[in-house]
Amino acid sequence: MESTPARYSSPEGSNRDAHDRTPPSRDRLQNQSLSIRRGRPSSRSRSRSPLNSSPSSPSSKKRYRSTSSSRSSRPQTRSRSLSSRSRSRSPDSYSRSRSISPSRSRPPILPDYRPHLTLKGHTAAVSQVRISPDGKWIASASADGTAKIWNASTGAILDTLVGHMAGVSCLAWAPDSNTLATGSDDKAIRLWDRITGSPAHAVGGGGRGTTRGGPTGKGPLLGHHNYIYSLAFSPKGNILASGSYDEAVFLWDVRAGRLMRSLPAHSDPVSGIGFCRDGTLVVSCSTDGLIRIWDTSTGQCLRTLVHEDNPAVTNVCFSPNGLFVLAFNLDNSLRLWDYVKGSVKKTYQGHKNEGFSIGGGFGVLTDADDGYKVEEDGDHKIRSRPFIVSASEDGDIVIWDVVKKDIIQRITQAHKGVCFWVDVNGGTMASCGQDNVVRLFRHRPSHRIKREPNGVSGLIEHAGNEDSPDIDMVDVELQQQIEAEAEAASPGQNVKEEEL
Amino acid sequence: MNLLLSDDYLLQDYPENITNSIRSGHSTCVRFNRQGDYLASGRGDGTVVIWDIETMGVARKLRGHSKQIQSLSWSRCGRYLLSVCIGWKAVLWDLKDGKRYREVRFRAPVYGAEIHPWNHHQFAAALFETSPVLVDVTERAEIQHPLPSVPKRREGEPDFPKQTTTAIIYTATGDHILTATSKGRLNIIDTKTKEIIFSEKIAEKSLIVALRLTESGKDLLVNSNDGIIRTFHVPNLSAQDLDPDTIQLPLEHKFQDVVNKLRWGHVTFSASGEYVAASAHNNHELYIWERGHGSLVRMLEGPKEESLFIEWHPHKPLLVACGTETGRINIWSVTPAQKWSALAPDFAEVEDNVEYIEKEDEFDIHPHEEIQKRRLDQEEEDLDVLAVASGGGRPEETSTNAFPMPILFDLGESDSEDELVHVGFGTLRRKSPGDQDEGDATTGGEKVPAKKKAGGRTRKR
Repeated sequence: MESTPARYSSPEGSNRDAHDRTPPSRDRLQNQSLSIRRGRPSSRSRSRSPLNSSPSSPSSKKRYRSTSSSRSSRPQTRSRSLSSRSRSRSPDSYSRSRSISPSRSRPPILPDYRPHLTLKGHTAAVSQVRISPDGKWIASASADGTAKIWNASTGAILDTLVGHMAGVSCLAWAPDSNTLATGSDDKAIRLWDRITGSPAHAVGGGGRGTTRGGPTGKGPLLGHHNYIYSLAFSPKGNILASGSYDEAVFLWDVRAGRLMRSLPAHSDPVSGIGFCRDGTLVVSCSTDGLIRIWDTSTGQCLRTLVHEDNPAVTNVCFSPNGLFVLAFNLDNSLRLWDYVKGSVKKTYQGHKNEGFSIGGGFGVLTDADDGYKVEEDGDHKIRSRPFIVSASEDGDIVIWDVVKKDIIQRITQAHKGVCFWVDVNGGTMASCGQDNVVRLFRHRPSHRIKREPNGVSGLIEHAGNEDSPDIDMVDVELQQQIEAEAEAASPGQNVKEEEL
Repeated sequence: MNLLLSDDYLLQDYPENITNSIRSGHSTCVRFNRQGDYLASGRGDGTVVIWDIETMGVARKLRGHSKQIQSLSWSRCGRYLLSVCIGWKAVLWDLKDGKRYREVRFRAPVYGAEIHPWNHHQFAAALFETSPVLVDVTERAEIQHPLPSVPKRREGEPDFPKQTTTAIIYTATGDHILTATSKGRLNIIDTKTKEIIFSEKIAEKSLIVALRLTESGKDLLVNSNDGIIRTFHVPNLSAQDLDPDTIQLPLEHKFQDVVNKLRWGHVTFSASGEYVAASAHNNHELYIWERGHGSLVRMLEGPKEESLFIEWHPHKPLLVACGTETGRINIWSVTPAQKWSALAPDFAEVEDNVEYIEKEDEFDIHPHEEIQKRRLDQEEEDLDVLAVASGGGRPEETSTNAFPMPILFDLGESDSEDELVHVGFGTLRRKSPGDQDEGDATTGGEKVPAKKKAGGRTRKR
């Protein structure tokens, strides 16, 4: 438990069945979740109907086997989904396209992310990757105790943020993309200036005996009693929410670096946290299986969501419009909750998630990402297509349709070992994993297929690339250049040391 | 968005107790922006401090005045702030960079000034002993138009006694200006012609201190020196067929304390205009009347100090008052009780015991696969994760079009030292042990006292 950088490390050459071997340095969350499953049934049987309490470990195992069997039968479901998609291409499904004259009709937007760049530099597993809100930068947090900022278009490394004394588990971009917050197993949260790569903070007002701020007044945010595991900025950027292994959610005043409120949130580590779009609600989740929704201004719990099976929740986020909550459960499912009614609206399956705290979220592709000119006129409204994306423990990245729940793209073997996190910002997707690298993907606009010079790319079926990650979008030249640069600036040289 | 989940509409809509107390220097006046997320406070030393109401922390400090701030006014978007001090100066601040966007000097001290509700390049100011002015700051060199304080004398009428304008505000559309004079007269001025189109004596021979309008602009609140607070219905002045001769300003309520003969310090409407709140001279309490019946609903007992300037939050039951002695800003609000059913979804809060009748199939045992399959089959509903629902409380556009205030990190250092040197205007700052030495002190008035203490300690460490 204490040797944190080893948290994500797994035996070399780990593959799909790595989770069955249970290496000693396995993810904490899995241990947690296991303890839940073993330890809870009796208490659950009291609070819930016997219907749910009866399945103890054997039947729950069966449940997992059943899901894996459904995975083996995936081709069928895909063929079904394919057919449904081909149906959806007919003009009827998109009501708007009906009004468009046939010559100008556009096919529905379909995510088609292709490998673009591989960002190498971390020396341990990369636990989280996030694209900045303006789409220009990529930040990655790693178990090697550093966070790195990359240029999203060139893949060049801009800064290595050194200062944490242990592995970095989470990070969050401020809405203005100029500040980055990182949370680490050293119980500290640090705020970084994206431009200078140095700590961005004047904690404690600079002086007057504030030991927290340190001599420069630019110290970390201290207060949690255990590892920091999740972070989120409010939409205005004035509040930072943090979830920790100490089972509490803290709300920080970002400007002053002051702890505003501590919420006694859960009875297990807080594994995920998120703000809704207007900043009035905070959602937190925990491996105790609860999802709680809090009022930011009063600090009160407004709603608690629990699924009947009580699977551990490892990550949570609000939908773009703030009306739903997407939860990542450790029973190979993502669930979309209507938190007002308190019911599950959709369950997304087809990825593998039983032991690790993996992440993903919502992505939106618009006509602009699909290569169309964006102009609102009578016939053409700007269409946008939302989808749900998640990492998978077998190294895949899976994208689902929000309503139909079918897989609309699967990027296989994006990472060797577990893929921990995927983040999407329009046409850019970033993922990270156990293999110490961050990968960038680019959506290939359907509009431009015909104009592509190499004829191959135009023919590729959207979901048909099951065998190998096709490399037609990989910018080979750029990739080589980056790698050469990285070699030249051997590890540690472009590291900015922080005065502590 | 939290309105979807809370039963706060069941709560009372006027404040109950002090929930927070914030201080930066000696505040003399406060003003909320239209979105209600930032509070500007003017200090005795001329500094303007912008507070973030969500964090109760300082968001920005604006230095440019050297005398006590008299009044503050926000532009609609929340990007520009007009501050006037008693030192004959007005500054229009651009909060994007915190710089002085425009600076205007007058030939007299300023009572108060207000920005045009739709155009931040125009404002009106009431000046001491001279005629009020309408200021156009579109260009860097401003244009000042003097406005009349008394209507033109008609044939056969006696002269109006000499009087000056003491309060000035815009109507909701910004087409007209309401002014009030030192002799209790209310004028309506057309901003185009700059002529008085309506004038009436509303308070007998007493100076009118303040005018306030509700958000809709249909109700007017007048505070005068005779100890009576009056509310009026404002006619629709932007009607096409408006005849200045038929304008009527019907009086709705008079609020006063006949027993104690209190003189009111400052007045404000509640968010919806349903309530009227006032502070009183030589009195520690804040008074809240309800406008339906005109009855006193609440006297807020706060700290043992007189508070003069008060302001109601634009959409919450939250009242802000500046203490005259300490310069502290006290915030009254309601603290909703935690609903225990929200923590445990299996439980519901019921008034009486309810006999539970189990459903027919409630304890049937089904294989897990079947349950799972049934569950998944039920998820056929069409839903939209992108479209923003309209009408869940506040109109969304006001919050999305609002100017995003930059988040600054270097506020703390710049403050504390000089704050201790020149605090207050004409008042000496008492250093009592209870007083915090930090420049900006926040004491969370949470309902759990233990937690409050803990919060304070972490801050001081």
